[in-house]
Amino acid sequence: MSDVVATPRAKGEFARFVDRFLEDRVAVFGLGLITLIVLLAVFAPLIAPQNPYDLAKVDIMDSRQPPGSKSMDGFTMWLGSDGVGRDLWSGILYGLRISLMVGLLSGLIAATIGLCIGLIAAYFGGRIENVIMRIVDLQLSLPSVLVALILVALLGKGVDKIIIALIVVQWAYYARTVRGSALVERRKEYVEAARSLGLSHTRTMLKHILPNCLAPVIVIATVQTAHAISLEATLSFLGVGLPQTEPSLGVLISNGFQYMLSGKYWISFFPGVALLLTIVGINLVGDRLRDVLNPRLEK
Amino acid sequence: MTLTRRSLALTAALLAGGLGLPAVSAVAQELKIGLSSEPSSADPHFHNLTPNNAVARHVFEPLIFMDEFQRLGFGLAQSWKVLDDLTWEFKLKANVKFHDGSPFTADDVIFTMNRVPNVPQSPAPKTSYVRGKTFEKVDDLTIRVKTAKPEPLMLNHLAQIEIMSAKAAANVTTQDLNAGKGTVGTGPYQFVEFVPGDRYVVKANAEHWGGKPRWERVTFRFLKSDPTRVAALLSGDVDIIENVPTADAARLSKDARVTVSSALSNRIIYLHMDRHREDSPFIKAKDGSAIKNPLNDLRVRKALSMALNRQAIVERIMENEAVSTGQLLPDTYAGTSKKIKIPAYDVDGARKLLTEAGLLPAGFKLTIHGPNGRYTNDTKIIEAVAQMFTRIGIETTVETLPPAVFFTRASTGGPNRTPEFSMILAGWSAGTGEPSDTLKALLGTFNPQAGTGAANRGRFSNAKMDELLAKALATVNDQQRNALLAEATEVAMEDVGIIPIFFPKNTWAAKKGLKVTARTDEYTLAMSVAR
Repeated sequence: MSDVVATPRAKGEFARFVDRFLEDRVAVFGLGLITLIVLLAVFAPLIAPQNPYDLAKVDIMDSRQPPGSKSMDGFTMWLGSDGVGRDLWSGILYGLRISLMVGLLSGLIAATIGLCIGLIAAYFGGRIENVIMRIVDLQLSLPSVLVALILVALLGKGVDKIIIALIVVQWAYYARTVRGSALVERRKEYVEAARSLGLSHTRTMLKHILPNCLAPVIVIATVQTAHAISLEATLSFLGVGLPQTEPSLGVLISNGFQYMLSGKYWISFFPGVALLLTIVGINLVGDRLRDVLNPRLEK
Repeated sequence: MTLTRRSLALTAALLAGGLGLPAVSAVAQELKIGLSSEPSSADPHFHNLTPNNAVARHVFEPLIFMDEFQRLGFGLAQSWKVLDDLTWEFKLKANVKFHDGSPFTADDVIFTMNRVPNVPQSPAPKTSYVRGKTFEKVDDLTIRVKTAKPEPLMLNHLAQIEIMSAKAAANVTTQDLNAGKGTVGTGPYQFVEFVPGDRYVVKANAEHWGGKPRWERVTFRFLKSDPTRVAALLSGDVDIIENVPTADAARLSKDARVTVSSALSNRIIYLHMDRHREDSPFIKAKDGSAIKNPLNDLRVRKALSMALNRQAIVERIMENEAVSTGQLLPDTYAGTSKKIKIPAYDVDGARKLLTEAGLLPAGFKLTIHGPNGRYTNDTKIIEAVAQMFTRIGIETTVETLPPAVFFTRASTGGPNRTPEFSMILAGWSAGTGEPSDTLKALLGTFNPQAGTGAANRGRFSNAKMDELLAKALATVNDQQRNALLAEATEVAMEDVGIIPIFFPKNTWAAKKGLKVTARTDEYTLAMSVAR
């Protein structure tokens, strides 16, 4: 009984979902782009000609070389090098790892926190809901860049600190979304049924309500991941994010910024393109997911 | 629809009219200067900070002037005499008037010298320049200065103190001075306004004793972002910018619309090493276990200095806007050593020394700390240094912090307010224009009572150097003192108290037709600008 309730869709539904997703060529392009970027990031140590974090490999004699120059170690720097002699192609590959990791990890944790809090608010209602939702409102009324900036300034630099800041900024979006759909689900008969069988609150929430609230969360998650990646880049650009010696895309862009007027465009340009492609890819997929998962938008 | 079209046409006409106007600033005798850092006050004695001192020089004048090479000359003093080792006599210039019309006399000097140590809430007072000196009025245009000990740097110190009006500045606060109340000096320009975060404006003082100044009005705008400052110059928003970013210097000097001028700075960029702990917190063996602080071994310090390819840092990071060094001031200054050579770049030699010290082949781990954004390219310099140390087997990581946080932690972040870090990158500018200032602050044994080692964040201590420095500071004869200072520098450098890297260049860029006389002390002055 409970199994049927937990997965209301029939077996063929997932295949249908995939079919529907693939109908849109732009979304397929986005998915392909992201797959490529993720593969590049995962296999960066194998692909990159240089480990840009190993100071023994980076040589300042290579600094500010234009795209296509030969490095002191003999490999070709197809995208040029930055101000301290880091190969930009390698820097971008490693930077993508950090950016994606920060985006996904912070998204995952924020989603988990947001889901639990949103569910609790919707399920119990009353004062609990009021308190939680006012906190969410408060959080959402502050610009996320500002909140993250203050947090990172207080916590200090480092990947872990950035992730904490991004979680704090993001959880409220998830909480609000989940609460919205859970409010609707809570009144349905299958929840009544589960309760009258004597199932605990936790079990009812997690096994019965939650699976039916996931569709909008998945959509929010894609958008938020893209948001988190660009927020991390913003913070790093402003100089409060990640350390200079282990650059993410934002740090690479900010490093090149001072060279923009002197014609050395590549130091900022290529990391900027990489960031742009990542975010566009995620957003394309997110858009299509929203269309497919939300029957109301169906034409 | 019709309305929209008509208003569009109107806007276009207005725009065309606006664009047709001649450039106003080219006609008026107004000078606009883009500064890279902002003064924290219009009170000349509030904060001993380069931008504060530079803007103050327009409104106020010291008794002694320093020229663009920091050579001493007469300011409001007309002459001086050394009566004995402990007494100096200064004749003041006659017929000098403050901006409010009142005459300048010995009373103003006495008032100023009493005010300097008593500015409330001053983050960096100029007290050390008047400490141990008693000022006496002999007559209206003569003062006598008595000192407890011989004070050879009397003139250098007096060159740092701007004279204020006893009448106008009596009982005014720093806030009053910022608002223009009592901001009355004898300088070539009169204070107009100071808008924090935006601008500092002065206008010509036609009654100035040196003749009417060249510019009717001078506006200093605070443009902290490097690209913004350069863009402001190229677009004609400002006529001159200071602190030209190294990335743009080469390109600007080729630009026909711009003239670039530069002078070697009296600022040294250096590494300071932890010398006061047996186990330094940011030095570990490669497996993370504790090791004895290797920086206490002279061979290791020498090896680190040899591992630095200073020329590569100057060329690749500073884009030749710097000159590498092995001592504390450029050797054009008096009191520097002619014997000290720039340590040769020698990776094999450095590795050999580390092996002798028993640190290779194991190597060790080191974190270098530094400020981000205090000095030109500071983070990149530390990264380059880390690259070079890594090549001789020291696994080096870099951590940069916002300047305010960095300097607090680097000076007092450890237990019992000791310096926190194992190795830092920092800079020191010799305000007095000779090496005793740098020797005393960076390399003198740390002793707050005696005022030595104020910025000795490595707690280096060398008895012989201390002795030579103390002797130099008690020697009034210039030649003898300079010889002693050179010797003290040699002792400190032989013991590698700090690792000097380079002197940056101070670079100004001006619109074609203007000429800026570059100064070693980083001051951007309207008086240095000629047509």
